[in-house]
Amino acid sequence: MKRVLVTIDEEAVEDSIELLEVGRLIYGEQGFLSYALAAGGRYGEAGKLYDYLIRVKNGPLPNYDAATIARCIESLHRIYCFDAIVVPATHWGRMIAPRAAMRLRAGLVADVTGVGTDGDQVWMVRPAFSGRVLATIVCRGVGPVMMSVRPGVFSYSGPVKSAELIEVDGQDFKTPGVRLIERREKPVARDIRESQVLISGGGGAMRDFDLLERLAEALNGMVAASRKVVDMGGAPRAIQVGQSGKIVSPRLYIAIGISGSSPHVAGIRNAEYLIAVNSNRHAPICSLADIVVEGDGRTFVEGLLERIEAANTATRGGEG
Amino acid sequence: MRILCLLKLVPDVDQLEYDRERNVLIRENVRLVLNPEDATAAATALGIKRDAPDSTIEAVSMAPRGAMPHLEDLVRRGFDHATLISDPRYAGSDTWATSRVLARTLETRDFDCVFCGTHTLDGGTGQVPAQVAEALGLPVMVGISTLVELDPRAGQAVVDVDGETALMRFSVALPAVLGFQYDPARKLPPIRYEDLNREVSGQITVLGNNELGMDESELGLKGSLTQVRRVGVDGREAKEPVLLRDDQEGLDKVYRWLDQKGFLER
Repeated sequence: MKRVLVTIDEEAVEDSIELLEVGRLIYGEQGFLSYALAAGGRYGEAGKLYDYLIRVKNGPLPNYDAATIARCIESLHRIYCFDAIVVPATHWGRMIAPRAAMRLRAGLVADVTGVGTDGDQVWMVRPAFSGRVLATIVCRGVGPVMMSVRPGVFSYSGPVKSAELIEVDGQDFKTPGVRLIERREKPVARDIRESQVLISGGGGAMRDFDLLERLAEALNGMVAASRKVVDMGGAPRAIQVGQSGKIVSPRLYIAIGISGSSPHVAGIRNAEYLIAVNSNRHAPICSLADIVVEGDGRTFVEGLLERIEAANTATRGGEG
Repeated sequence: MRILCLLKLVPDVDQLEYDRERNVLIRENVRLVLNPEDATAAATALGIKRDAPDSTIEAVSMAPRGAMPHLEDLVRRGFDHATLISDPRYAGSDTWATSRVLARTLETRDFDCVFCGTHTLDGGTGQVPAQVAEALGLPVMVGISTLVELDPRAGQAVVDVDGETALMRFSVALPAVLGFQYDPARKLPPIRYEDLNREVSGQITVLGNNELGMDESELGLKGSLTQVRRVGVDGREAKEPVLLRDDQEGLDKVYRWLDQKGFLER
């Protein structure tokens, strides 16, 4: 029986739990034992989905302490000999996974978007060159297969289990080095990954975000942005779409003033429908779109809003 | 204060073209640029040097020989020294092999802090800073938006991190590896006119495996723990889109399409 370890990021518990799907895709529902490491103390529903739940006494081990958690993973691997170790590619997972891989002398693949097997060999797919290409990668050597996976890429639904508890002692791994001085929560906004409709603005829509917001509201969706806009301070990083932002899979994605030559395309691969509004109909994003509107983003949004609002008024008038 | 900057030169991604017939990325003749987040790290180091001129700052880059002009530029912009790690035997190294070569180089240096970018534009794995830190047994913090304080005498750096759900301030024990987030406000300073053609070869060291002495079985493609099997075009297949304009007719069509697909239901 194969063994798969998934680490749970206490700031992304639900997303971490879903990584169980990676084990299922590689080894099949019955082919592996699943272990969830709840180093930070929180583990949500993991106790009902995993075979084993690993908790840390004398903890918690905070997610920002990558060196300590890497040592904990190493120690667990020495006991359980995992075949695969899957880490959520959160801010913290991106520091934890490389450190653990280095200690285990294991090949590590970042930002995996697909997995499968070819005989005994596990292959992983990841976007590279800002999402321009997809690389299929295999691990070599004797270590476990290691990967980090972006939240939102996989989702798992499987039989309910009752996880057996494993306890490790946090004191064994503590490494000094990083200390949290202060933490200010960002205002909790709805996550753009949860929205079925995204109205996304790029450099060409830099000054039109107020309008995009109105269109998002009219279509019961949310506003997103390209990296360019975020880097220029035009939108918060939380709504950035793309390889360095969020991977989204809405039903409808309207890209306004986004060329697609940015890391953007990697983040919208799973969108069901794509409308690209661009002054240049040869912009790279247009070759992926269902509908290309060549022209001005502002004119497009205003025109569409007029039609939606007119229809709404007419409906209300009819009822009254 | 002694700061080492790990800097990567990457192909200018916006220039990359895809050859749809051959299904490959055209990498020939693509300009190399300093990775934007690494440029932020370098600019931060230069700022420290400007405020505390007795600091020494060194740029370290693993790259083909062709990267030399970029390193010369960095010295002309104010770096005290630049080290180019270049050896054909290193070509094709994955992050594991790369990090070990970088760590071996850093072991021979005295430093208070290592600066780098958090991600790179090309591979974009973001693994190297943490892997170098692990190989050297140092703390690491990435995604740094502001370096609040760097105090080797107190043995700590204070950094602000713009995380996914919170803004955080950390104290990191020195020496440490610090990865910066891109900050367009922190740009590399221009080269002063009198330095444009300054002779800098005395401030540049080139290291290969003859100097670093890594086991050859742990280098390059064959020494890597990950291997690229295939590279393909993005999974979303190119479509023949419906082409409209932003005029009345185009807007009417988009509106009707949205209605048909059920996006206008309240």
